[in-house]
Amino acid sequence: MATKDTGAILSRLPGVDAVDSEARDGMLFAIPYLLVFGVFLLYPLLKGLYMSLFDWNAFNPSQSEFILAENYVRMVQDPTFWKAVRATVFFVLLTVPTLVGLGLALALGVNQDIKGKRFLRTVFFSPYVLTVSVVSLMWAELYAPEYGPLNYYLEFFMSNPPAWLNSFTFAMPAVALATIWWTVGFNFVILLAARQGVPERLYEAARIDGASTWRAFRDITLPQMRSAIMFVTTVQLIASFQVFGQVYIMTNGGPGDSTQTLVMYLFRVAFRQQEFGYAAAIGYFLFVVLVAVSLINYRFVGGSDT
Amino acid sequence: MSTESKLDIPRPKTVGLYATLYGAAFLFLVPYLYMLSTSLKTEEFAFSQQPYWIPPEISFEWYQVVLEGAPMVQWFMNTFVIAATTTLLVIILDSMIAFSLTKLDWPGKRIVFTVIIASFMVPIYANMVPLYTIISEFGLINSPLAVILPFSAIPIGVFLFTQFFQDLPDSVIEAAKIDGFSTVQIYLRIVLPLMKPAIAALSLYTFVYTWNQFLWPLIVLQGESSFTLPVGIVTTQPTQVFQPGAEMAATLIAAAPLFIVFLILQEHLVNAVQMQGTTG
Repeated sequence: MATKDTGAILSRLPGVDAVDSEARDGMLFAIPYLLVFGVFLLYPLLKGLYMSLFDWNAFNPSQSEFILAENYVRMVQDPTFWKAVRATVFFVLLTVPTLVGLGLALALGVNQDIKGKRFLRTVFFSPYVLTVSVVSLMWAELYAPEYGPLNYYLEFFMSNPPAWLNSFTFAMPAVALATIWWTVGFNFVILLAARQGVPERLYEAARIDGASTWRAFRDITLPQMRSAIMFVTTVQLIASFQVFGQVYIMTNGGPGDSTQTLVMYLFRVAFRQQEFGYAAAIGYFLFVVLVAVSLINYRFVGGSDT
Repeated sequence: MSTESKLDIPRPKTVGLYATLYGAAFLFLVPYLYMLSTSLKTEEFAFSQQPYWIPPEISFEWYQVVLEGAPMVQWFMNTFVIAATTTLLVIILDSMIAFSLTKLDWPGKRIVFTVIIASFMVPIYANMVPLYTIISEFGLINSPLAVILPFSAIPIGVFLFTQFFQDLPDSVIEAAKIDGFSTVQIYLRIVLPLMKPAIAALSLYTFVYTWNQFLWPLIVLQGESSFTLPVGIVTTQPTQVFQPGAEMAATLIAAAPLFIVFLILQEHLVNAVQMQGTTG
């Protein structure tokens, strides 16, 4: 703060315009980003709210009709929308706890004194660099009911294995499993770094006190890794809430609408039915929910050491 | 090291630990193996009930079919152009504003910073309909710019850069000023060189992220010649009738470039991901 004060004093002296030129340079360095940010992020955010108040004509926007909150009313009364909410929540429940729990288990395992740490890390993290298309096409082959390997082996144990992606019951769990394989590596490497950051002396002290392994896990590992665990949970919540590619490619929302998630429904309303106003309203709803989820999570994190 | 770290999992028997971890690693590798083996199978074995992990007859016909039947090279080029340009823009734009926000003083910068950080949570999905109308008004449908521009000013980049720039001592900047460096010189000759590791990590992460994008390119790239690899391999079928072998060959070709980059630059990518967890 001392430099600021000196700057302020200097600027009042005649002939010294250091502060003014710093302000000018500061703004010049900020403008390129702010232009792109304004046009492609802030402006759409406002335009989305505006569009959601219209029966928007996608082909001739000037023909759009102002209908105030009708799109939102329609959303609340739309059974397909609520089906999509349920499908999304189901997907979140299937993926987030497993992604965080399995990520933590793998991180703690690889952190042990074992051979081939690097190999294991490469294997567990590698699917994360694949695109969703590759992941979905690969897993669709594994799940194929007639010729896929999964059902070939299951037939040794059961006479009628599920049709996976074509099954009302198993389509979503199948998509969830592929997703877990795809993204658990992200959590794994972050949690591994967090675990390596826990001071070993805490464990030494616990051992001297005769604490059990379980106690050490509960009283040292978990609390010490709290902020990292909260971070990956938030990231996964947001990601799972917005699931699109996997369902679009593997099931196209089917069978029926059983795997049609919110973003999938939004995509369909906007780009298959061309109902931009209604789609914008759904988009806004999604945005508000995500902000709420993030804020609730940050509240929790806010209480910790960060 | 060896004895202390055994405390964090309830009673790990070494054998059990090895079996669990290597068993899990084996399961993780199964999808890759199946993709590879199916891409090398003839039609007869690809549709066979029995999963031939090593095809009895190895055939490269599907690779030829895919490369001839779909513009894979074009898609690869499109994807590369989009990922490389976006990365370059993210690094330039984000580092400039982050430098300005942390090391320069100007009126209103607090508000600007707050707005950027608050928009962290705006997902592209929520914005996709209005953004589509804007891209369409600009006449950018099917243009690589339709994918590049909206992802060139992402708040997370600004956030990460400001975290790093804060660690840069003000005294370094002050000393440069006394030596008569202009702001541009300070940025180019001092800040950027000192921030090389952060820039490398963020570049790699942005490149991978952009390369793998699916939903947004699917919306704004509508002509086959403008597709990226992720969009192309699910939108265009290289064969008249569905062929698992052809599909897996296309999938493998699409996955290979980035996967090879990953195997070479793994350390950096892992660091880039871990960085988010520790600064975020």
